Amino acid sequence: MDQMAHTEYWNPYLETLSRKQLEKLQLFKFKRIFAWAYSHSKFHRHLYDTAGITPDDIQSLSDVRKVPKVEKSMMQDIQNKEPFPYGDALCVPLEEVSAFRQTSGTTGQPVYQPDTWQDWEWWAECWACILWSQGYRARDRVFLPFGYNIFVAFWAGHYGAEKLGCEVVPGGVLDTQARILKIQELQATAMMATPTYVLRMADVAKNKLGIDPAGLSINKITCAGEPGAGIPATKKRMEEAFGAKVYDHSGATEIGAWSYECRHQPFGMHVNEAMFLVEIEDLETGEPITEPGKKGKMVITALDRMAQPCIRFDSKDVIQWDPDPCACGRTFRVIKGGVIGRADDITKVKGVLLSPAAVEAVVRSFDGLGDEYELVVERPGDVDHITLKVELRTGVDRSQVEPGLRDQLRLKTNLGYDLQFFEYGSLPRYKLKARRFKDLRKQNKA
Amino acid sequence: MQDIKDRHSLTAINEKIASLRKTTGDLENQTMDFPALQSNVKRISASIKMLELNLSDALALGLEDTP
Repeated sequence: MDQMAHTEYWNPYLETLSRKQLEKLQLFKFKRIFAWAYSHSKFHRHLYDTAGITPDDIQSLSDVRKVPKVEKSMMQDIQNKEPFPYGDALCVPLEEVSAFRQTSGTTGQPVYQPDTWQDWEWWAECWACILWSQGYRARDRVFLPFGYNIFVAFWAGHYGAEKLGCEVVPGGVLDTQARILKIQELQATAMMATPTYVLRMADVAKNKLGIDPAGLSINKITCAGEPGAGIPATKKRMEEAFGAKVYDHSGATEIGAWSYECRHQPFGMHVNEAMFLVEIEDLETGEPITEPGKKGKMVITALDRMAQPCIRFDSKDVIQWDPDPCACGRTFRVIKGGVIGRADDITKVKGVLLSPAAVEAVVRSFDGLGDEYELVVERPGDVDHITLKVELRTGVDRSQVEPGLRDQLRLKTNLGYDLQFFEYGSLPRYKLKARRFKDLRKQNKA
Repeated sequence: MQDIKDRHSLTAINEKIASLRKTTGDLENQTMDFPALQSNVKRISASIKMLELNLSDALALGLEDTP
């Protein structure tokens, strides 16, 4: 019997440090990674010299704000420089790079990300911490239904699960039906996927294969790539469909696996504060937000990523600190509700801030509606116009849903919508990240 | 499991990690012309770095003395 399996924490030392101890560790690590980038990367050296800041200027965590932020567009620009194909943010000789990944390109030209063996160990280490907190243990058989493509997606989740000793089943090029049948055959106990794909798998199992996904042996699912597992209505749909616990996780190719929901499900995600420094800035003024309950934009530093450092990266993720500690006893702070949205998705419509995640929460709370929807903002003349396309489940009449949906949308988002109802199965289906929000106002203007 | 806050236990573990680091450093220098050994030593070195991130960095800061 594996005695270790009963231990709550992956790292019982770091995960229970006091706030002061954590801050001391973060300051030490920030100074180290800042000095490393300053001395090994032309890009960072130029950025910091231009700002007139050197490693010696960082004496406290409040000094961190003096360090210039890095935008995704800057990472895209440097890829035109040497060394090919990464550019001059690279801090190690090219021969030490052991893996290439790139961002999905959702927000423009993909960013190329080099990792060394050490960086890849670090990715797996961060994921091991996540999976352990969610109850993954060596006895688990973990199925990964993603394309094992050029994007990082769940690659590090694969290696993190291996690090825990789990048996990992790579469901790479199988189609959705074959993946479900393989889960059934192997009696897999856990899987990792985007919320969109979890719901898609449940739909295919029920409607194409006649299999009740709750009857499969999956007892826990780790979601990433979209905010869905942090949206209560979407999480509920997934948990009910598979009869499994669904846990949220957020990470990014340029950053790493920085946050996770533990098995106590605190309606939010812990930040791994031993490995990452998270700052929150006011969406409009850019002023730092330290108090809980106030939403802002995340600026993040990966404290131990060496080949292409991530220092004060402007992630555009919108988050807020939770005022309450988690029942699990970890001292890593929790971001309430996970990643609430993206600063570049949260947009003003008719003068009101519209969050696509808020619309999803309403849509998924109606049992008569399918999982898919599409939200389109246009400006055909001088006035913004929002169209929400939804699917009715088989046997459900529009009149049963429309009045309640209209009321809830008005109540939760303070906006009116042109509601369009479609037959079940008509809207696009997605396998990885969905693109359900379309802001066409710039095109309308052109 | 022993008390994780037991400084002496953690210090003893950390000394063994430092010893591993020294050993891999020595091995790396001694295996320049032996790719089968050196490549594996480098991978071990990456794993040792994870031991340091998980314990040694924090111990070096004397965090036990910070409230």
